[in-house]
Amino acid sequence: MTEEKKPEERKKRRTATEAASRIGPMVKATIGGTVQAREEGKPIAYSFICCCYDEIIRAMDIVPVWTENYAGVCGAKRDAQRFLERAEAENFSRSLCTYALCGLGFDAWREELGEMPPESPWGGQARPDMMLGSGQMLCDPRNKWYQASQRYMPDVPVYDVGLPWPPYEDDYDYREVQDYYVKYIVEELKGLVQFLEKHTGRKMDWDRLSELVDLADRTWNLIWETYELRKAVPTPMGTGDAMNTMVPMVFMMGTQEAYDFYKELNDELKHKIANKEGEIPDEKYRLIWGGGLPAWFALTDFNYFNNKGAVFPVETTYRMVEAIYHFDIDLSKITDPLEHVAWRWVKFWTYWYDKAKKRPGSHPDVERLIQYIEDYKIDGIVMHEAFSCRSWHVGLIWQLNQLKKVYRDIPSLILESDIVDISSYNEADTRARIDAFIDTLEAVKSRGR
Amino acid sequence: MSQYFAGIDLGSTMTKVVIMNQAVLASVIGPTGPEHRKLANRVMEEALVKANLPFADITYVVATGYGRINVPFADKQITEISCHARGVGYLLPEVRTVIDIGGQDSKGIKLKDGRAVDFVMNDKCAAGTGRFLEVTAEGLGVKLDDMGKLSLTAKNAVRISNTCTVFATQEVVAKLAEGVPLPDIIGGLHEAIAARVYSMVRRLKIEREVALTGGGAKNIGLVKALETKLGYPVLVPPEPLLTGAIGAALLGKDIVKEAAEKGETLPRSERRLQEATFFT
Repeated sequence: MTEEKKPEERKKRRTATEAASRIGPMVKATIGGTVQAREEGKPIAYSFICCCYDEIIRAMDIVPVWTENYAGVCGAKRDAQRFLERAEAENFSRSLCTYALCGLGFDAWREELGEMPPESPWGGQARPDMMLGSGQMLCDPRNKWYQASQRYMPDVPVYDVGLPWPPYEDDYDYREVQDYYVKYIVEELKGLVQFLEKHTGRKMDWDRLSELVDLADRTWNLIWETYELRKAVPTPMGTGDAMNTMVPMVFMMGTQEAYDFYKELNDELKHKIANKEGEIPDEKYRLIWGGGLPAWFALTDFNYFNNKGAVFPVETTYRMVEAIYHFDIDLSKITDPLEHVAWRWVKFWTYWYDKAKKRPGSHPDVERLIQYIEDYKIDGIVMHEAFSCRSWHVGLIWQLNQLKKVYRDIPSLILESDIVDISSYNEADTRARIDAFIDTLEAVKSRGR
Repeated sequence: MSQYFAGIDLGSTMTKVVIMNQAVLASVIGPTGPEHRKLANRVMEEALVKANLPFADITYVVATGYGRINVPFADKQITEISCHARGVGYLLPEVRTVIDIGGQDSKGIKLKDGRAVDFVMNDKCAAGTGRFLEVTAEGLGVKLDDMGKLSLTAKNAVRISNTCTVFATQEVVAKLAEGVPLPDIIGGLHEAIAARVYSMVRRLKIEREVALTGGGAKNIGLVKALETKLGYPVLVPPEPLLTGAIGAALLGKDIVKEAAEKGETLPRSERRLQEATFFT
């Protein structure tokens, strides 16, 4: 009876910052809040992170259920297998995105029972009133997942927001076409607002939306400034914590709570830096988490790195903001909130294009890595290939090879497993690789001495 | 008074022990196996007998390999990447890239000044490891030791399309049933494993000279298949199974030397040969 099995809960990861330690309870309360909202009859929407519509749903008081987040929670609690197996039994391929599989398995089960599956992690994922796809260029489940969910919830409407950005080419300037992209995204967002108005019976409060867009801009800047503090030696916060502190960034954007969280984190990091309080007492190696979503069931691996004297002052994963004031366009002059959001989206994804063009053979993702390696005084790169997430992970090895070609040789480690499926993970092998990587870092450092 | 150093490489398939002072005094290679693994101490004992030394005379013991963590009589555990690098650096100083094909994993190591500066590893999939040949040899009813030589007699090596070891076994049995000559099938298997290892190690930007170590290096068919992939000859140490253990012993020597230079006293394990506690 696989479905009845309740695995033992994983020991919690040790956090370095007070802020990161608050995230678990915050997420638990948020998930519990969605179940409560359902009972109270508030409109609920399945939503994707980095969706461009955060402020829109907040302005209309729609309660988001972040389905990727819930799958991640199931993974972190090592309780996803029963939902993955359920999806597989529904004829979904095991090689699909395991966030989607976990969510589909959960939904199939919940809809069959008419209530939450037994002992659902943190109370379960609330049934939505609508599902808001968010198709990025590189992630197909964001288009298809909710359409597949309609097999179990045919009464729940889906709106799929198309969110493209100009692709990178080194022989043309994306600015030639950026207006078209912005126009397209604005149309998509207008369609979303109409869809939400129709299905909630509420009217968009455009003034409130503008206020929230401004709040999100300020939050972006604050996050950027806060994360930049991690350049300090020793670094006050590592990627293990950042995998927690990303929660307000990607699940609570456009809320005062998110802004306040980063203000407190900013204060905490400044305090730690003033006191020379590093993530670990004896920082020997500074690493970058150079790509790949984390294995949510194995976040204690970050503690394992720490125990070896390694810290991660920076990561590319879930650093989904840039300083707005660094964009080559003054967003404050764009008063239409939908247009404003569309420009922010396009400018974020094209942020590294100009830099990449200056270095032959480089690429925006590579250039970002190089900049972080320089800025954060990085000794080595760690990447994670999550087998089920092709779209985000397919280019990692290429990026690494290009980086070594156009920049310099730097020790690197590729970890292999998954975001949710724990059967892909072997702790002993992973840690053997980490040990070997630490040896190579030491060898490289000692050659330089 | 002479100093003696022991390196013990507890691999997934074979356990290797080396005792050194200025050179290798004694070495023993024994199967790891489920029961033998618990008896690593006996392999060590055998090496001590060969070297005509009591255990108490061993200055420092370094354990490496898959089971290194649980060798209770080791003074230190060091990863096989570092040990292979040190061992190859000592045996073949001109080598810049090491390809190690073991029973359970395969790895590529980039060397600079005899130390590992980068590596890649396959520990996820049996294809590309010794296990691939072991399993397919069994499926074909051929002795593992004969596989390499037989592959060299292939006239038209077949393409093995399955990268999964289990399915590849079915595929080769089907080829046999189709009447494909055995050497051509075995030749195809060697090409498949070489292609898999080569594509992994290429991530390191392979530099000459290249050394092949581990059990895979004892298979002449695999050596040739890899040389074909690389386009030039590879170097193979005299006993390719021992490079990790030699490296472990040498790193032990380095550690003792460094401690002496700093005037430090190194902590040592009790010189009592206890069973490795891998399974407990």
